[in-house]
Parts: sequence; structure tokens; C-alpha cells
Amino acid sequence: MSMINREVAWRVFASEFNESTLELEGEEERAPSYLVTPLGAKLNRVYAVGVLTEKENIGDPEEPMWRARVTDQTGTFFVSAGQYQPEVTSTLTNMEPPLFVAVVGKANTYEPDEDTFLTSIRAETIKEVTEEQRDNWIVEAARSLKKRLEVAIEASKMDEISVEELVELGFDEKLAEGFKLASGHYESIDFNRYERMLEDSLRYVLPEYETKSIQDMQEDSEEERDEDLEDFILEVIGDIEESENLENGVDYERVKEKVMEEKDISQDEFEEAVNDLRTDGKLYEPVLGNLKRID
Amino acid sequence: MQEEENLAPHIEDIKRALNEKLSEDQIEEELRTYTERYGVPLGSAKRSIVKKYDGDPQELYISTEKKIGDIEGEEQGLDLKCRVVSIDDKEIEVDDEPKRIWYGILGDDTGTIPYTLWEAKSVELQKGDTIKLESAYVNMWNDKPQVNIGSKASIKKIDKDEVPQFERQPQKLDLKDIREDMRNLEVKARVMSIEEKTVNTDDGEKTLYSGVMADETGKAQFSAWHDFGLEEDEVVRVKGGYVRSWRGIPQYSFDENANVTKLDHDELPEASELKETSVYTITDLAKRGGAVDAIVEAVMIDIKSGSGLIFRCPECNRVIQKGACRVHGKVDGKADLRVKGILDDGTGALTVVINTDLTEDILGYDMDKAMEIAKDEMNQDVIRDEIEEKLIAQPLKVRGNVTSDDYGLMLIADEVESKTIDVEKEAREMLDEVRV
Repeated sequence: MSMINREVAWRVFASEFNESTLELEGEEERAPSYLVTPLGAKLNRVYAVGVLTEKENIGDPEEPMWRARVTDQTGTFFVSAGQYQPEVTSTLTNMEPPLFVAVVGKANTYEPDEDTFLTSIRAETIKEVTEEQRDNWIVEAARSLKKRLEVAIEASKMDEISVEELVELGFDEKLAEGFKLASGHYESIDFNRYERMLEDSLRYVLPEYETKSIQDMQEDSEEERDEDLEDFILEVIGDIEESENLENGVDYERVKEKVMEEKDISQDEFEEAVNDLRTDGKLYEPVLGNLKRID
Repeated sequence: MQEEENLAPHIEDIKRALNEKLSEDQIEEELRTYTERYGVPLGSAKRSIVKKYDGDPQELYISTEKKIGDIEGEEQGLDLKCRVVSIDDKEIEVDDEPKRIWYGILGDDTGTIPYTLWEAKSVELQKGDTIKLESAYVNMWNDKPQVNIGSKASIKKIDKDEVPQFERQPQKLDLKDIREDMRNLEVKARVMSIEEKTVNTDDGEKTLYSGVMADETGKAQFSAWHDFGLEEDEVVRVKGGYVRSWRGIPQYSFDENANVTKLDHDELPEASELKETSVYTITDLAKRGGAVDAIVEAVMIDIKSGSGLIFRCPECNRVIQKGACRVHGKVDGKADLRVKGILDDGTGALTVVINTDLTEDILGYDMDKAMEIAKDEMNQDVIRDEIEEKLIAQPLKVRGNVTSDDYGLMLIADEVESKTIDVEKEAREMLDEVRV
């Protein structure tokens, strides 16, 4: 069928979108170009929902050109709108962050220098949405991520990725093709990280998850990093305790050394994390200078 | 196989074609070996025997009844029981005289073959007739055998049951999966609606029984070109149908050659339940090429210009811009409300058109009120803004017919409702699957 199909709007989290560095230029004239994410979403158009945290007019008051940041629970979308999107620019002019917004637009890339590849969304539509609509989007984007992840994990078991075989196994052909493209470009794809992203995102919409005010959203990614660090510290202590059969905990300096070796953090950050763990009742000092887990 | 007494004329025939080179006993033995031991059809057996003893099979005169699938090359004295699949006529010139001939396709349970009827016979052939041909001949035309019914030949109408139906097992299919141009299908469905229509076709007026049928996966419009006595709410199995696109929607069609069986009422869920089944992804709709009474669950991601309060030309109903029609110039436009938007479900996107009544429901007020608001604001765009406010980023459940053409898919909405997503339930379900 020679039908002109409108490009689908991919529901993709900011983190996966921003890690994309594979661009496919349209081969024929006016053919669309695509950005392929590490998990193989071959996207031209994106549908994103998050918090509008900042906006900046880089044009002039008469003819505004907006740069805006829209943050989801995994990262930040960079959004632009200029003279060719008059409706979007006028809507943005009247928006005051922070706000929940939905953005539909084209994936755009920018390479200021050899080592930098930046992605953004050139908005076609922007609209304030409700928190409920934002949660709907998270569920849709999570489902989309889950499907890609399933294809990716299955495909990576193959010596050579075969799209036909994946289709035979019941996977979507477009996703299989997309991942084949991605795996030929991205050096190593950390599936665990995407699995965590998927689980965290799903937990994010559950009622038991502490609802954050949208002002807190900007700090979210930082907090998440802290949680990662705290988990890692507990892991290090647990490992040493187990392998050396220690009953009175592990020496503070040893833990610090090991953690700072693995994680790119300062001494202050380490100390802060240990203090948080103590306050949360996850660590104590059985003898002075030793750290032990409370399980 | 032929009965013994019937073999005698053929033995005689072979004997003559071979200039009595072989005795009748020898011929009979050969003939039985071919036909009984190896199951070769009599006609082929006769030709083979004549060839084997250096004779010319063209010298055989007594025809053998054979099947279309057996016809391989030129032959005389062909007898054939078959069905007239199609018939057409044309005028040719023979010795400067105009002459009418007929041509078309003959078929039986083994295949089809083209034919030419060189002169009018006592019976007038019609499409669908079951006939017995005697003393026809076969020649090659563009390397393909063709049956000729000449002056020596005769045609007799026979009972329909004498020629078995062409038997290729039809492909069983769910209605969701029908695609344009599929043939020889088998579907099991409930008749959701049916009406009788008279339509004009190339063959004159015909009665058409059309409506909508549904199974557990989807719905399809159907057209029955024969009265099978179908009734609303019946469950039927229809073998031998095909798919045609009608106004951009694939439709299940079947005629008198189809095999329709009525099944138990509870072979499929009740009509009220089936009504709710046809939820399609947009990718599936694109592959299928449209659908009747489909349900699409998607998010509205764009509202096109020409939505909201619009004005139409009173002459041609086109939407007018700044009080002028593209064709009729300056006109006194009549107001209308509608929505043209883009629905996207993450698998694909389509254009949705929402009519006046539904647009009024979405806005929560009627057209008069919309006119009033637009006048107060001195701007008709405020209505569109309000529609955007209500619909963009909103998950919707939209029901209607989906047509497809070169510009993509279009859903003409019959029902629009906001879809409530149980975020918590869906998130927990997905988490459970991820943790496994």
C-alpha cells in the first residue's frame, strides 16, 4: 500500500531519548530522518509529558524563540519552538513554570563539537495537562520501554541478531529492526539500568510512592543518584562482612576507600550518604569506627 | 473408472488410430494397465498408448470424458462436464461477414480453462450454467490450452450436482485479520445487521443482502450476492468468500458459489458483547486498510485548523475562509461545529473527524451558544482553543468507521469518550511481569 502514514509519536522517557546518538538521515528527498535510541526506538516524532521547569526566550519579545526544559522522572527534555511554530510559541509565552505539560514534536539533534551530541524536541504542540494525564503518559511510556527492553534482551542472546527470528518469536518487527540498528551502533547497552528505570517509573505512579510536589521534581534526579549510592554502600559493607566473616562491622576507612574507588563522589558526599543511612536506621557502629548493616 | 462395456468403443478407436497395429486384447491390456494400475485418466491413457505405438493421437475420434485439470494439449473429441464461470460475446469478421462468437472461462472441480463458442447452439449459455460438452476440441493459444466449441460440438444443460465444486480448502480467518483482495476465505460470525438492496450491476439489477457481521475479534461489512436467507443475530459459517474494498473499507463478499452454514446461536458471544470487541491498534488498521465500526484507544495529539466553529458554503458545503468559498466566492456561510484531529496510540496515527453533535457534547454547549461566545470574543478561534483544552493529551476511546486512501487512515467518529486508565492497576501488572 502506498499510503502516506503519519509518523507515530513515540512515548519515550527523557533518559533514553537523551542517550540517543544514532541519527538516520532520510535517503530520498523529503524522507523523514530518524533518531534511534539505545533500545531501538526509531523515532521521528515524540510525545512527552513532564514538568515545565524552565523557559528562556532566546529571540526577542516581538518574535519569541523559546527554549524550555521539561523534566520527567528520568531526566530532562530540551524543547524548542520558534517562528514556524507560532501556536507553540504563543502558548509558551503564557506559561509560567512549574507546570505539568504535554509536548508533541519532532526529534532534533545538534552536534556543537565532535564529542557532543545533543537531542531536543522541536515542539508542534504544547499544552498544560493534569497530573492524572501525566501518570497516564508514564504508564504508556513504561509499556513502550518494556516492549523494547524485551526485544533487546532476547536479541542480545543471539550470536547475530535476526529480525525474522525475533518476529517468529512473536516480537514486533519494527522494534526488532530498530534494535538491530541500535546494537550495531551503541557500544554497550546497560539493560539493568533500563530495567531499573522501568521499575522506578512504574513505582512512581503508585499511591504508596511519596507524591512529590512539582517543585521537588528538579531535585528528583539528584535524589535518585543518592539512593543509588546508599544502596551501593550497603552492598560493599555486606560483601566484606560476608567474605571475611566479620561480626563487628567493617572499618569505616575501608568502606570509604572501596566506595570512592567505584563511584565518582567526593568525601563529603560519602559522609552525607553514611549519615543518611544511620538516620534511616540502616547502619550502626557496633564498635567505634566500624560500620555494620541493620538487616 | 470406466465400466467394462464402455471400454469397447475406445479399444476400437485406438485400434483404428494405430491402423490395427495392435490386437484388441493387447490394447485392452495396455488400457487397463494405464487406467487401473496407474490411475491415468482414460483420455490421457488413450493418447499415451497411441503415441507409444507411433500413432497420431489426433486420429482418435471417440471422445473421453475428462476433467479440466487433465487437458494438456491439442485434442479432438473432447467431452467435458463443467460450469460456465464467465461468458462474454464479441463480433468478428469471417469472410467479410460479421459473426458473433462467445468466449469466457469454464471450470470444474479440478481447475479452469478459457473457451470459445464459435456458433450459437440450441441452448443459450449463461454464467453459472452447468453443462455437458460433447465433441469439442482443444487447441493451443499463447502456449495455453483452450476449449473450442465448434459446429461438430453439442451443449447440454445438466444438473448442478454433476460437477463438484472447486475444492481448495478455504483459509479460516478472524474478521480482524481480513485484508483487501483476499480470496477463498472461511469466517464464522454473527450477523449483526442485514438489509436487502437492489443494485445496478453490469449484469443488470441484482438483489444484494448486506450488513455487518462480527466475531470475537472484530467486525466486517458483508455483501451476499445471493439470498442465503440470512437473518439478524444468526451465527453463520461462510466458506468461499472474498474481500473487496468498498469506499475505503474492506468488506467480506460472497455469492452463490459460497457455502453458508447456519450454526448454533451460542457458537459466538451475544451481539451486545460482540459489539464491544472491535478494538484495533492503529498499526493493525493500516495493515487491514480500514474497518467498520472500529474502536480506537488513543491520545489526541493535535487539533487541525478548520476545527471548532467553522462556516460552510451554502452552495457546496465546503469550509469557507474569511467569508469566501473557493468555488463560489463571497457567500453567506452557514455555521457548523466539528473537530479534525490526530489520534495517536503509540503504534500509529490517524485523522479523526468528529461531527457537530459530538462536538457539542465535547464542548458542553450547542452551536448557538458557540456562536454567542465567538461573537463576544470577536474571534471564532476561541472555540477551537476550547476543544484543544478539552482533548489534547487526553486518552480517548473513539468508535466509528475507519477508511483508508492514499492520504492515510480516517476515522469518522460515531462515539467519543474519555478513557479512564486505571494507572495503579496497569503499573502493578507491569511491575509483576518485570519482576519475574
